[in-house]
Amino acid sequence: MKLTELVQKLNLSVRSAKGNLEREITGGYASDLLSDVLANGEEGNIWITLQIHQNIIGVASIKDLAGIILVNSREPEPETVDKAEAENIPVMVSELPTFELVGRLYNLGVGGTKE
Amino acid sequence: MILEDIKKILEAEVIVGDELLSRNIKMACGCDLMSDVLSFVKSGSLLLTGLTNPQVVRTAEMADLAAVCFVRGKRPDRETIELAKSKDIPLLMTHLLLFESCGRLHLKGLSGCSENVKQH
Amino acid sequence: MAPNNKISKIQELVYEIRVGEVMKKDVFTVSPRTHMSVLRVILKENRFSGAPVIDKGELIGIISIEDFIKWLAGREEDCPISEKMTRNVSTLYTDEPLTNAISKFDQHGFGRLIVIDRYSKKLEGILTKGDIVEGLLKKLEIDYDDEESRRLRIQHFFEDISADKTVLLFQYDVIGHDFKRAGECSSRLKATLKRLGLHPQTTRRVAIATYEAEMNLIIYTDGGHIRVRVEPHEILVRVEDSGPGIPDIEKALQPGYSTAPEWVRELGFGAGMGLNNIRKCASKMDLRSTAGKGTRLGIYVSVEDGAGCEAN
Repeated sequence: MKLTELVQKLNLSVRSAKGNLEREITGGYASDLLSDVLANGEEGNIWITLQIHQNIIGVASIKDLAGIILVNSREPEPETVDKAEAENIPVMVSELPTFELVGRLYNLGVGGTKE
Repeated sequence: MILEDIKKILEAEVIVGDELLSRNIKMACGCDLMSDVLSFVKSGSLLLTGLTNPQVVRTAEMADLAAVCFVRGKRPDRETIELAKSKDIPLLMTHLLLFESCGRLHLKGLSGCSENVKQH
Repeated sequence: MAPNNKISKIQELVYEIRVGEVMKKDVFTVSPRTHMSVLRVILKENRFSGAPVIDKGELIGIISIEDFIKWLAGREEDCPISEKMTRNVSTLYTDEPLTNAISKFDQHGFGRLIVIDRYSKKLEGILTKGDIVEGLLKKLEIDYDDEESRRLRIQHFFEDISADKTVLLFQYDVIGHDFKRAGECSSRLKATLKRLGLHPQTTRRVAIATYEAEMNLIIYTDGGHIRVRVEPHEILVRVEDSGPGIPDIEKALQPGYSTAPEWVRELGFGAGMGLNNIRKCASKMDLRSTAGKGTRLGIYVSVEDGAGCEAN
């Protein structure tokens, strides 16, 4: 599944890298701990988190994640958006909490990564 | 849904509260930031988290949560276990990741804690 | 997982309660010379399912209803109990924990166990599985009653005060940087408010706000005090510390703004939502701070507000 489809089906607002939504995603990863994502996130994953600090872009870039969805209508900090544009990492916003959003992704056939 | 169902769906191990498995679970949330748990999670909910320190149990105590399930196979330390016992807060542990855990429970009809979400 | 992780309240009690506390003390004993035909009457009249056999003050066996049925089924002639009783009696000491009794019941499938004194070996009582269950239930009920009566006591205390205004004050002292004990003060406050009979939602709001404030004291300061004033219509939580202070309160109140070090973030705190959370729980919040001097935070929760809605 491509990011564009997720944006449409889950009613996400895109905050950065609008031109980079054609990437095929390999699965989902949900966590609010940067160290956890650094250790366990996989290439091409869509990352679901509450963290809005600019460090999330660094993590997404190092792990070559497909994008980040911020939950609970949490807006990225301005520095986060700047960095995301520079690194070409799509940051999206959903009004749903993690549990609900992941549930819907799962329903759409996006799987979790294996441990 | 009761805690026993959650244990089965998540293939979880019960660390504290074998006798509390009939507890009713109304909603769930997946979160690693305790302030957010305190802020938006409703009383009686299940918390799924990758954190295992005693503050997770404190948070559950303050927010009147029904139970906590640790994901990613993370096992809590003694202090966390002792605190949970003294506060009658059941602790479960699953080897599944947070994403998979939320996905499975949602598929079985459990809902999240949000004003915007229709309750099942 | 290791079985010792699974210890629950019941399992704790099973180690705590001694056999002597729950056994039946009035034990009907029989003599080895009593005949089986007489035993029949004794068992029937008293509804016993078995009795210890005592000879000259010493326990020499046990005769159960199973032994009696076996004798009946065999259509044997009448004989003294001593010929039909079980001689190898499995016993328990009065000072053993219940868990020992449970494993003995499990291992041998006995219906009852004889309890003797560890030193004098004298018969003290008899224990069935039913006695264990009854003992556990009683103990659980007592624990529950304690909490109930404490609550009643405190409510009567309020009713007994004759005054135009009644105010209760509590103080909790928070030690800075002691992450392990973080939340203890809020926990004690929450238990106290519960006992006072406050509405659960009011209690929850006060507990959440106080916990966030306590975490701030622990993460950012060398410690401080939490003073709580309880009045029938309002609860005021005053949190005070002596440094380092907040340089820009406006900024500190922005959701997501945080100066917390990374280790605090990895523990699930310091994501910049604490003060916001406090404001959400409070009916009114009052924050004053001088950089280098300290911070004073007042959290007002009115009781009417709390009763109506979830703290969201």
